[in-house]
Amino acid sequence: MRRRPGIGGLQNAAAARDQYRLLGENVAKLRTDLMKEQLSTFRSQLEDFARKHKNDIRKNPAFRSQFHEMCAKVGVDPLASNKGFWAELLGIGDFYYELGVQIVDICLSTRAHNGGLISLEELCKLLGQRRKGAREAVSEDDCLRAISKLKVLGSGFEVISVGKRKLVRSVPTELNKDHNEILELAQAQGFVTVDEVQRRLSWPSGRATDALETLLDEGLAMIDDGDKDGRRRYWFPCVSSISSYAGADTS
Amino acid sequence: MAAGNYLPTAELTASGRPVLYPGEIESSLLSSVDLLSEENPNFPHLKSGLLILTNHRLLWLPNSTPASSPTPVHIPLSAVSHIFSLKKSIKSVFSTPRIRFQVSVTSEGRVDEKGLRSIVITLVLRGKSDPEAFLGKFWEALKVRAWEEIKVGASGAEAGSSSGPRSGEGSLALRVPVVGVAGILRKEQEMWESTDKSLQDAFQDLNALMSKAKEMVMLAEKMRLKLLAGSNNQATGAAEDELGTKEEMQDWLLSVGIASPVTKESAGALYHQQLSRQLADFVRIPLERAGGTINLIDVYCLFNRARGTELISPDDLLQACSLWEKFDVPVMLRKFDSGVMVIQNKAHSDDEVFARIRSLVTKPDALQSGVSASDAAMTLGVAPAMAKEYLLTAEGKGLLCRDISPDGFRFYINLFQDINSDDVYL
Repeated sequence: MRRRPGIGGLQNAAAARDQYRLLGENVAKLRTDLMKEQLSTFRSQLEDFARKHKNDIRKNPAFRSQFHEMCAKVGVDPLASNKGFWAELLGIGDFYYELGVQIVDICLSTRAHNGGLISLEELCKLLGQRRKGAREAVSEDDCLRAISKLKVLGSGFEVISVGKRKLVRSVPTELNKDHNEILELAQAQGFVTVDEVQRRLSWPSGRATDALETLLDEGLAMIDDGDKDGRRRYWFPCVSSISSYAGADTS
Repeated sequence: MAAGNYLPTAELTASGRPVLYPGEIESSLLSSVDLLSEENPNFPHLKSGLLILTNHRLLWLPNSTPASSPTPVHIPLSAVSHIFSLKKSIKSVFSTPRIRFQVSVTSEGRVDEKGLRSIVITLVLRGKSDPEAFLGKFWEALKVRAWEEIKVGASGAEAGSSSGPRSGEGSLALRVPVVGVAGILRKEQEMWESTDKSLQDAFQDLNALMSKAKEMVMLAEKMRLKLLAGSNNQATGAAEDELGTKEEMQDWLLSVGIASPVTKESAGALYHQQLSRQLADFVRIPLERAGGTINLIDVYCLFNRARGTELISPDDLLQACSLWEKFDVPVMLRKFDSGVMVIQNKAHSDDEVFARIRSLVTKPDALQSGVSASDAAMTLGVAPAMAKEYLLTAEGKGLLCRDISPDGFRFYINLFQDINSDDVYL
């Protein structure tokens, strides 16, 4: 477009801009049509897959886990939204979202006992009890995925590793390295004493007491002064293998 | 072709399909593949055959069946020591893709996992293929080492039944009577094999689906970038059109399972917009009951339980709540420093809460002994955890001072700011 001076030139420039804009819109339209087409092919492919393998996904936790891994590699999140094709056609959305609700329930009902930290094993066991009637088996992998989705809601839902175990946190309490080490130590017998912490971790007494007191404040530890040699024991319900939740959960 | 001297033979069924070992699953099939060794001219040069990758071996089958064609061979994955990565160069774009890997061989040159020497074998993929995908599967198979597990388990299942690898498509040469221990073991193995077969199909279908999904992701990325870029140059006339397509685009991204950002200009997917309004209505009553503030995670549970089916995902909830600031609804999403997120009545604003806290904390007994989270909870009519968050925020604003003592955590009115340094006698 040759630039002409004066009003005529301005009008020309405006016309040119308009033309380019319309062209741009058309291009956008083309791309959206392409997208629509691709989407419908994808959807029908997914429908086929669902028709043949929906049951496999529901019944087989190993296949389900593999499915998730592949989705992650490809860059899609089948659990991102219930509106997505994945949830709609494969029906796995409801499975995980409901699992999330049940996990929140269990964490809430056991919070008074363990301060908001529960071992993954324990959680799965309680889930199994609660879901006795359900057709689908729930694996640890499923729990982890449901929890990772819950994370976005704040409230501190997270899975942390302490030693060999995985613990599920449901309160925003931050656990620092010191606390983690004490929890790891506690896995052996379910409790620790200040002496033990000092000895095994080579900490000064102040550091040990401070960490234990914080854990106590947060409700993660319980005190037991009944030992015959008078030493105070700090019990950690979340890592002890004694499950004393019998009767706490009936629904 | 004395291929047999270098490569072990692969057994075929009468219909030309390979005889698979127990637990062996096919994972990839490529046609028109040459197999040779560039280092060793004596190594057989097998041309244009069918290459099958399983979780145990690499099989090469000749394409045609005349008597003169080479024998089918295989390379056990246990003998593969290294796979070279694909060379990417200008040349490689135009030439046929080649895959090179190293195998251990005996001193005579025969492929054997216990061999002490090694040679490099090249696969030339002349047919239509995706070398990257094949390489990926090759690596996977090598990593998983499926053949080692099977060695341990195979001996148990074979007792009393016709031993050896099972033949092609379900035709067992010997029908062993289904009685006794042998019968039970046989039944178990059949069941295991049939699940295995249907899973094979499932995995193949899954693979195909994932390739398609990958294409979608790439397309969607382009769309998404356009979404983000498009919001920067808004021509006034085209505004509505653009917005319309934008929402559609976000809906599609959602369908495929790609998180799309709720940008300042866009209003998110239509689905989330509708959900947003639904939620605002739903949350009214629980909010009142909870005193004006409710934990986001509690809303998630309440809403989904009320729904029963077609539940919403946590992401859906978050997106829907984030959209409230664009609409005129009486509720808002609020995030505390600790990461806790709550839904609040707009009427229940911070200033209002602080005013109530201030009046609570200036009462005579509060001036004496302060206010704890549970005291505040009772007065404010919210959960203790919420009350704690409010007290902490008020402290952050300078309204309160904390006092940590053996009695616990208590808050007092902050008088420090009222102290005039010029008039210290107050």
